[in-house]
Amino acid sequence: MIIIYILTILSIITFLVAVISKIIRISSAPVHLRWELYPVPHEGGGKAKYGGSRLEEPDWWEKKIHKDSLGELKVMVPEIVFLKGVWEHNKQLWLGSYPFHFALYLFIANIALFTLVTFLKLIGYDIFLSNNIFGQIIYYAIFIFAWTGSILGLIGTIRLLFSRTVDPNLSKYSSASHYFNILFIGSLYLTVFLWLISGRNFVAEMANFYYGLVTFSTAIEIPIVAYWHIILSLLFIAYLPFTHMSHFFTKYFTYHQVRWEDEPNIPSSKLNKKLSEQLNFPVSWAAPHIGADGTKSWLAIATEIPQKEK
Amino acid sequence: MSAKKIDIKVTDISKGQGVLVPIEPVDDVKLPPPYDKLEELPGFRKLGQQSLDKYDGYIDGVIAVGVPKPQSEEEEQKLVESFLSGLMKLFSNENNWTFLQPLVLSMEHCAKCQTCNHDCPVYEASGEVEIYRPTYRAEVLRRLYFKYVKPGSPLIKKFQHGDIELNWTLISRLVELSYRCTLCRRCAQSCPIGVDNGLITHELRKLFSQEMGIAPKELHEKGTVQQLEVGSSTGMNSLVVKDNVEFIDEDMSEKVGFKVETKWDVEGADVLLIHNAGEILAWPENPGAFAILCELAGIKWTLSSEAVGYDGVNYGLFYDDVQLARIVVRHAEIAKKLGVKKIVMGECGHESKVLGIIGERIIGGDVHTENALTFMENIINSGKLNLNPERNYFPVTLHDPCNLVRIMGVVEPQRRILRKIAPKFREMEPHGVRNYCCGGGSGFAVMSGNNFTDWRMHFSGKMKFKQILDAFADEDLTSNSPKYVCAPCSNCKGQIRDILDFYGAKEKSGIYYGGLVELIINAVDDIKEPFIDFDMM
Repeated sequence: MIIIYILTILSIITFLVAVISKIIRISSAPVHLRWELYPVPHEGGGKAKYGGSRLEEPDWWEKKIHKDSLGELKVMVPEIVFLKGVWEHNKQLWLGSYPFHFALYLFIANIALFTLVTFLKLIGYDIFLSNNIFGQIIYYAIFIFAWTGSILGLIGTIRLLFSRTVDPNLSKYSSASHYFNILFIGSLYLTVFLWLISGRNFVAEMANFYYGLVTFSTAIEIPIVAYWHIILSLLFIAYLPFTHMSHFFTKYFTYHQVRWEDEPNIPSSKLNKKLSEQLNFPVSWAAPHIGADGTKSWLAIATEIPQKEK
Repeated sequence: MSAKKIDIKVTDISKGQGVLVPIEPVDDVKLPPPYDKLEELPGFRKLGQQSLDKYDGYIDGVIAVGVPKPQSEEEEQKLVESFLSGLMKLFSNENNWTFLQPLVLSMEHCAKCQTCNHDCPVYEASGEVEIYRPTYRAEVLRRLYFKYVKPGSPLIKKFQHGDIELNWTLISRLVELSYRCTLCRRCAQSCPIGVDNGLITHELRKLFSQEMGIAPKELHEKGTVQQLEVGSSTGMNSLVVKDNVEFIDEDMSEKVGFKVETKWDVEGADVLLIHNAGEILAWPENPGAFAILCELAGIKWTLSSEAVGYDGVNYGLFYDDVQLARIVVRHAEIAKKLGVKKIVMGECGHESKVLGIIGERIIGGDVHTENALTFMENIINSGKLNLNPERNYFPVTLHDPCNLVRIMGVVEPQRRILRKIAPKFREMEPHGVRNYCCGGGSGFAVMSGNNFTDWRMHFSGKMKFKQILDAFADEDLTSNSPKYVCAPCSNCKGQIRDILDFYGAKEKSGIYYGGLVELIINAVDDIKEPFIDFDMM
């Protein structure tokens, strides 16, 4: 059991280090030229509804910018919870992708609930032992999430595997890792499903594991299938940020830093200063018309009169 | 075998010689009568032996760029090395700060779900030819990125992202393939993750131009280079442009019955109007109508006679950030020198995009710009024009230029104007930010070498033609009573002109095209004769 506890710590550390370093790498990239795509949901004044922007206003720079942050939430919440974009543009894929993703959400919710239960137990309040309504709600929520998640997840896994294999639109563009990833996540659903149908008390046993983890207790007993589930889950957590599936957090950047990024370049602003620095980056593009030598800056190259090409 | 049925994989791009997918006209996008007979349309012109000997990069039997054939194996190897060097620069802060962050995000997070495919009008109109899938060329670059740019074990990278062989065949085909997408970014709108295949295509073009010096001559030599050297991509120098505008002024004065006089280089003017100079040569009534509009509204406006200052074109947007920067910097310098309050871009989508959003992060943010549609609506709202909508009593539909609408969010001003001045205005479907590109986007409207025009007509422009016909479905399409496609963008107008000519839509159905400002002036009640003369169009 101690090995599993160590594996848990390593897995969480790997996950956090990988995610944080990726966030830092993306965030520290140079400011790019504007490349937004409408509709931009934070546009105020009712413009977001039809995809309008402040550029529809005469002398827009003299007016106050209305940014509607709630508008972004109105788009992001259905996008994350229901995979709205896939539903609208690719219903066949949604039939597999949605149960597959929603099952993950339910499993993540269970991680949060087990963490809560463990924390309460640590401070002396074992909600599963006491006869209170709160404990029962948590217990049955975890129980229902586990059943629903594992069944939906298995349906999604089978459907996605089928699509990726049979549909040439997908199979031509699928690498070995696509199949591996689906099977990997599917194995998490399968092991919970087997644990549940084995007649054991999944909720109590998993709660014990969490408690054992934080107390480093070796007296925890869980079935073989639980070992499989936990080990596979830990490996998956460590593996996830190194794959394209890291879109679960990089999507924030593709939307907020690119698709919806419409900050105007106002003189003396922070953005303006950053851009001025970047205009001094040296250029080394080799085509003759660029006239770069590896030391001349963007600014110098953009402002000089280019020499006639021979 | 039809092109659709040819089984092509991503790795096939580097295999074999010659054409990978020979394409042919298809009718997957069905047009209504009298345009429903595919066999009555001209097919793709076959490339002559001269072209075949001269160029490389055959992927679909069409040539847009014309990649010169290397003369020896050593030259071929040098080109491969040059590509690899460009690939590294494309992913470096210094050389590509302009788009590095969105590019890397799009490289690393595609789920290969193909959700974007059916939003591409080219893929649809081609009958789903594999190489036109928005993800095809993106996947080629992605595999090269993971193989050559990202560190890590080759075995793991192959497992995660697949493999691809880099050779001259791949590179030359990829050059051509990067000019089979109009950069309309409709596919990017539908990506649930936010991956942008349009951007990837844009970045590929940059790599070819900025490192290897490969770009279509219409965009580079005849485009940005000529603009920077002579003053305009049309080839007009300052004297010629002034002569032409003087002629337009005379023509307009005669037409409207009062003196129309374009002002040049007025310091401290409220508005520096920069047209796409192509308007002056191809559609002089458009800058003419702008001059009338400004006169009637009492605006203190000016044109610039300085080189580059009288041409808002900036083809750098489509293929080369350095050329883009050079031109936009010139525009800003001229505006500052004149001390104008704002630049108003003429009816030109890509000009509006460069000066309105893209360029503002290069020129410093102290030059104010306004698009023509907002500018015109403001004039109409001022009540200075005496408008009679009955003068526009003919069916009118509106084309949404991608750069103005999807990319800048300028959606309603043009509609509010049309609702006021065109009683028979009707929308295309879909419209607004979900519009279809005209098919001439990203410079295609000015590219007509070899057999590329055939491709534009059959594939990239077909969805737009269907939209136009559908918008006029309640009219008699076999009658030549006038119907007007309002396209407030020079490049879109060029493409729509070519589509209407190709299908004979003016003769068969009376479908004409033009800008928005012409419709506004046509509605001005104080002008005796109609401004729009369908007999002369």
